[in-house]
Amino acid sequence: MAETQILDGARPEAGGGEGASPGRRLWRRIEPAALGTGSIVLMLVLWQFLPDVLPMKAGTKLFFTVPSGIAATLWQMFASGSIWAPLAVSAEAFILGLGLAILVGLPLGVLLGRSSVLAAMCDPFITAFNATPRLVFLPLLLLWFGLGLWSKLAVVFLGALFPLLINTYEGVRHADRLLINVVRSFGASEWDIARLVVVPNALPFIIVGLRLAIGRAVLGVVVAEFFGSQDGLGVVMVRAASEFKVDVVFAGLIVFAALSLIMTGLVQVLERRLSRWRPQHVNAD
Amino acid sequence: MPERAERPDRTTEPPAEAIAVRPRFAFRYRNFLLGTLAVVAFFAAWQAIFLFVPLNPLFMSKPSLIAAGYVDLLDSGDLAHDLAVSAVPFFLGLAAAVVIGVPLGMVMGWRPRVGYALDPLLTIFYASPLVALAPLLVIFFGVGIPGKTIIVFSLSVFPFVFNACAGVRAVDRRLIDVVRSMGGGEWDLYRKIMLPSVLPYGVAAARIAVGRALIGVLVGEFFAASEGIGFAISRFGDLFAIDKMFGCILTVMAIAVVLTEGIRFAERTAFPWRTGQ
Repeated sequence: MAETQILDGARPEAGGGEGASPGRRLWRRIEPAALGTGSIVLMLVLWQFLPDVLPMKAGTKLFFTVPSGIAATLWQMFASGSIWAPLAVSAEAFILGLGLAILVGLPLGVLLGRSSVLAAMCDPFITAFNATPRLVFLPLLLLWFGLGLWSKLAVVFLGALFPLLINTYEGVRHADRLLINVVRSFGASEWDIARLVVVPNALPFIIVGLRLAIGRAVLGVVVAEFFGSQDGLGVVMVRAASEFKVDVVFAGLIVFAALSLIMTGLVQVLERRLSRWRPQHVNAD
Repeated sequence: MPERAERPDRTTEPPAEAIAVRPRFAFRYRNFLLGTLAVVAFFAAWQAIFLFVPLNPLFMSKPSLIAAGYVDLLDSGDLAHDLAVSAVPFFLGLAAAVVIGVPLGMVMGWRPRVGYALDPLLTIFYASPLVALAPLLVIFFGVGIPGKTIIVFSLSVFPFVFNACAGVRAVDRRLIDVVRSMGGGEWDLYRKIMLPSVLPYGVAAARIAVGRALIGVLVGEFFAASEGIGFAISRFGDLFAIDKMFGCILTVMAIAVVLTEGIRFAERTAFPWRTGQ
């Protein structure tokens, strides 16, 4: 009996073949989504009722919040409009830093991918900067750029640059030699090669780099605002934490997470739009 | 990327036998030589530029000053002390992440229902900038080892979970069938099949987790600390002791590179069949 149980647990398809009842088949289809949502709902419910079940000291209660409280705070922040000003400040640093990283990272990645000498020379620096958490430069950047937009922008830029640069570089290096040679034998310049062959081919790599860069950029905004800023959503969160307004901290976290998810979703849309021309078999790899 | 047949890209290249031994040596180490050259040139240029430009010691430093400051830091033992302080939460947090993350990921990979249930939940946590909870954790758990360890753990556990899960899902089904037909039970499968198969994935996860763990330590120490390497960096910044600050920053960079590249090297040596990724 134990043996069949293992089989069933390991491969749910083993239990229901063609002969399974319609109900079972339906359940099999919706099971992943149902279990996934179920666990999230369960966690929220447990969290919501934890204070009722578990006796807490007054001191601990000060640090505790429940989902309904977070939702109410979030709603209130949007309804009163108090979120827009700090969010705009954070978004400005995010967009400018990410934009600058794209403007620098893509051309540099293409350049390094096309020139092995340059790549070899830049490799130690890229390895070192990529391995190091960019956060370590924050005190230095604060010293150089002062509190405010510029130091924040620099942190976001440094965070987002390397995933973009490295992925573009890898993508360019993977470009099909044959295609490059064809284009070149028709008299294409290096610019034409980049435009016609290399960049379109590197697109899947670049998109992955962009997705990573978005995550890093959001992280950069958060930490830069924690340590060196006077306004922005991160600042709101730190102030709230020191005033024990735990709801506001979680609300800020949710807004940042949503920002990152929305941007990643937009990138996915962009990817589909840009790779429409791509033959299916190339996509499959 | 699909494996493409090797195509000679430059037909004018001489055949291998025609290349003398010495150029071949230079060619093999070409990338290394070029890289070293670039690093040396970078520091030389950094040093040289202040022969022409006046140095404002409040904002910038140069390699000779950084080296002098570094000797100071080493002599006084401050650096060693700060590093030792930071290393404790770093390793404790990472160890906890391995101990909890890998088994959790293995169960998620092996039991589809557990996977269905936990995957979305953990993905949400992984995607959200959890560093944002750092102020709360620091206030709640204090500025000492527990607070920092929890920050490190919460940042570095996810790579282990997701990689262990992927490792189990990549297990060859036939191996499982063999163990079963030999009468092996669930526990044998975990121990004899899944653990070895997860190992390379776990090492790859460690490479990612190390970077996140460093972020955790630094965030914890930037917030509120009285010692530790992150605290040292921000204190030297406040004191405008730029040369010592650069020394600490370069030390963190060196540690990060050694850890990341060391793990990468271990991956290549121990699991040579897993190139890439």
